[in-house]
Amino acid sequence: MTAPLLQVEDLHVWFDLEDGGELHAVQGVNLSLEPGERLGLVGESGCGKTTTALAIMGLLPSSASVSGRVLLDGQDILVGGEAAIRPHRWVDIAIVFQGAMNSLNPVRRIGDQIVEALELHGRAKGDTARARTAELLESVGIPAGRASRYPHELSGGMRQRAAIAMALSCNPRVLIADEPTTALDVMVQAQILELLDGLCRDFELALVLVTHDLPVVAQLCNRCAVMYAGEMVERGPLETLYHTPGHPYTRMLFAASPDLGALNEAVVSIPGAPPRLDRPIDGCPFRPRCDSVFDACGVRPRLDQLAEDHDAACHLNSRVPA
Amino acid sequence: MSEASFFVESPEVGTSRTRALLRTLRHRRSAVIGTTILVAVILTAVLAPWIAPYDIHTQVGAPFEPPSWNHPLGLDDGGIDMVSLLMWGMRISLVVGFAATFVSMVIGGSIGLVSGYFGGKTDTILMRITDYFLVIPDVPLMIVVAAIWGPSLFHIIIVIGILLWTGTARVIRAQVLSVRERVYVKRARALGAGHFRIVMRHVLPQVAPLLIANTVLTIAVAVFDETALSFLGLSDPSRISLGKLIENAFERAAISAGAWWAIVPPGVLVALIILACSLVGGALEDALNPRLRVAHLSARTFRLRPLVGRSKEAL
Amino acid sequence: MRGTDYVLKRVGFAIVTVFVAVTINFVLFRLAPGSAVSNLSRVPHATQQLRHALEVQFGLDKSKWQQYLIYLKQLAHGNLGVSYENEQPVSTNLRIALINTLPMVTLGTVFSIIFGIFTGVIAAWRRGTKTEGATVSTALAFYSMPTQWLGLMLIILFAGILPTGGMTNEFLLNPPFWTHVKDLASHIFLPALTLGLVLYGEYTLIVRSAMLETLGEDYVLTARAKGLKPRTIVRTHALRNAMLPITTLIALSLGYIVAGAILVEIVFSWPGIGRAVYEAVLERDYPMLQGAFLVLTISVVFFNLVADLLYFKLDPRISE
Repeated sequence: MTAPLLQVEDLHVWFDLEDGGELHAVQGVNLSLEPGERLGLVGESGCGKTTTALAIMGLLPSSASVSGRVLLDGQDILVGGEAAIRPHRWVDIAIVFQGAMNSLNPVRRIGDQIVEALELHGRAKGDTARARTAELLESVGIPAGRASRYPHELSGGMRQRAAIAMALSCNPRVLIADEPTTALDVMVQAQILELLDGLCRDFELALVLVTHDLPVVAQLCNRCAVMYAGEMVERGPLETLYHTPGHPYTRMLFAASPDLGALNEAVVSIPGAPPRLDRPIDGCPFRPRCDSVFDACGVRPRLDQLAEDHDAACHLNSRVPA
Repeated sequence: MSEASFFVESPEVGTSRTRALLRTLRHRRSAVIGTTILVAVILTAVLAPWIAPYDIHTQVGAPFEPPSWNHPLGLDDGGIDMVSLLMWGMRISLVVGFAATFVSMVIGGSIGLVSGYFGGKTDTILMRITDYFLVIPDVPLMIVVAAIWGPSLFHIIIVIGILLWTGTARVIRAQVLSVRERVYVKRARALGAGHFRIVMRHVLPQVAPLLIANTVLTIAVAVFDETALSFLGLSDPSRISLGKLIENAFERAAISAGAWWAIVPPGVLVALIILACSLVGGALEDALNPRLRVAHLSARTFRLRPLVGRSKEAL
Repeated sequence: MRGTDYVLKRVGFAIVTVFVAVTINFVLFRLAPGSAVSNLSRVPHATQQLRHALEVQFGLDKSKWQQYLIYLKQLAHGNLGVSYENEQPVSTNLRIALINTLPMVTLGTVFSIIFGIFTGVIAAWRRGTKTEGATVSTALAFYSMPTQWLGLMLIILFAGILPTGGMTNEFLLNPPFWTHVKDLASHIFLPALTLGLVLYGEYTLIVRSAMLETLGEDYVLTARAKGLKPRTIVRTHALRNAMLPITTLIALSLGYIVAGAILVEIVFSWPGIGRAVYEAVLERDYPMLQGAFLVLTISVVFFNLVADLLYFKLDPRISE
């Protein structure tokens, strides 16, 4: 069996806090991604999904410390630190952020920023780069003439398209999209999702879609990984998670999404808040908000395999029916 | 944007601003150093009449006598003990600094409050005036007014205070603008509370911490301005301030006489006071504007740790 | 076009500010009570003719309102009255003084800006290290020193090595060109250095702050994600963007530059506009004082305008 395209093993991320303590933001996450696969990484804001995405590309700040392995084609790219990861950025793994207003430099023209990527990685220079930029922009639905514009002169949707064009400029094999549609209005959201869908298909991209918005995942992804309080609580094919969730949080997440919840069930929001990550957690992190707590939950559950391609971290799955 | 910034902020949702200020003063090293210096200086200044070793109007030796056991910092050109002069000098410098700042705080704070709270035409007019005064250079105007009005402690205080209010006004106005939109203010209005009551009970407490931070920083400027005016001979001739001591040293050729003890200490003290105010004021401002952004880029990069283990152990 | 709109607005603002300053000048000197009232014709030792001419020119027998209008008219013609001290036109005195001041202040300011940017970038880049601490502490230390005192300290330090007063060596009669240049350079060094050291501290802090802010922006993260090297990112993304707030804040420090210049010129007996202010105050030479204040204010307003327009040119977002 060949190694998956991208594999994350036992990833931990800690952030230094001002008062000297540490925030354990990511607690032992495992992921794997095959070529062309679409994985949705979901969870509430603050659950560690963006941090995980950033860690894959080594984009964490100096206040972070990381342990674990990130394997690209079977090779650990994390172990050498910043210097080892940098050559892989953009040419193997690229990323698109939320709210392209600020993720594109406001005082430089759109075209120049794409040309910068092309020239940096030796894909094209000078006029060839400009021509290629025009092609890229057209392929995401932006008229080539807009290359000479500044970000603030484009609408939100156009900016996001430009960011996507820039991300694809060096033909990466993995695209990470961090909340790509969150700041956009509904109509534009649909267009961007369609665009991503098409591009991933046409360029055989593997996609990691990081979002808190389940309908978005449903539209684009075939597999899904759910994160809570820094750890992965369930993963598997989207259908499986929807029909037979192995974790109460997954079930409640799906129920909380209006168009995915069953029609005759009231829309349920999940009360309470996630736990603080600057101190160790006692037992299952979801315990305070779970509706199915029982005595085993005082012990922290592990991510266990429920079926061929379905893992979940919940004691309910190992409970022997009475 | 990214959750990374959420994680790095200390989980302190809901702490009141004042408590945040006090905590800063106790913990941030720069604030601690600054506060210590200020307390030491203020204490010395207040206690000067009792702890100054010699009378500053009595000659106790030769002009520019070098330091000795009796006089650790020597004598000035009039044969007066430097240490005592410095202590008394601190008094006046601090009095001018605090008083002028008080004047500017009252003026600037009021203008900022009124301007931000009432908005509309009042705001436009007041801010327009503030803008003009912001651009017109302070010190030349102070010099002109002081030269015409005549040198006296009171005049100096008013002159400095009248020109420092612009910065405070702008800062306070910005803060009031944001407070004004808060729910409890709107609710109070709906309930029929008068403007004065709202300002006093709802707006002012929210604005006060920022006003304090701004005040401390203004004191630094006021002390500097006093030394500048003194150097031009515009300070009260009957009072000794640190600025006046520097001016005396210059006027009476302390350098040619090689009397460094008459020049160096007053300047060092002024620098210490200004430094202390800048440290404390800066720390307070930082605490109130937690632009706690993560630097996405810095010379150091993320650190690697040894592997934790294949899987989490069940506890 | 929106751009012209902005430019016109800023120029208009500058003109009004000058107007306000002129009015303040008038009010202070004509309406202030007591012996400080400057009567532009009260030039000591002046001849009857001079007195009379000035009285006519400035309409000193007319009503205050008319005096104001006449004052404006005279200003428009560049007539600032006659100095009490040397009985020369104020405008002539000031023109010479200004020409003397500019090189010294420019040198000091340029040094402070460049050095400030350099240290500010280093401090931001090496955040949390000893280098940052040292850089910031030194900057704060120099920022806190009173300008005149620092000047005196440098005089003590450099006494015997560099001249400590005046602009040139008066004993050099008709020196050859290069000797003259060397002479000027040796005289300009200390005052410019003093000014530079006092100013740079504030710029270090401003630049560091602006850089830290910029380094926290999302587009820096994108640049890093693209695979750019840190040094490149700082140069082509961060610094360029940080220049915007830096430009504004440097403009706001113009008042401080003026104050520093005045004090430095006094300490080093530099025959510029700062020393003109000092001597005018000592001699109570009111026409000179008025005139100097006006010239200084107009200079500051002018440079403020330049900074505004520069900012406008640097930031494409403004043209919206």
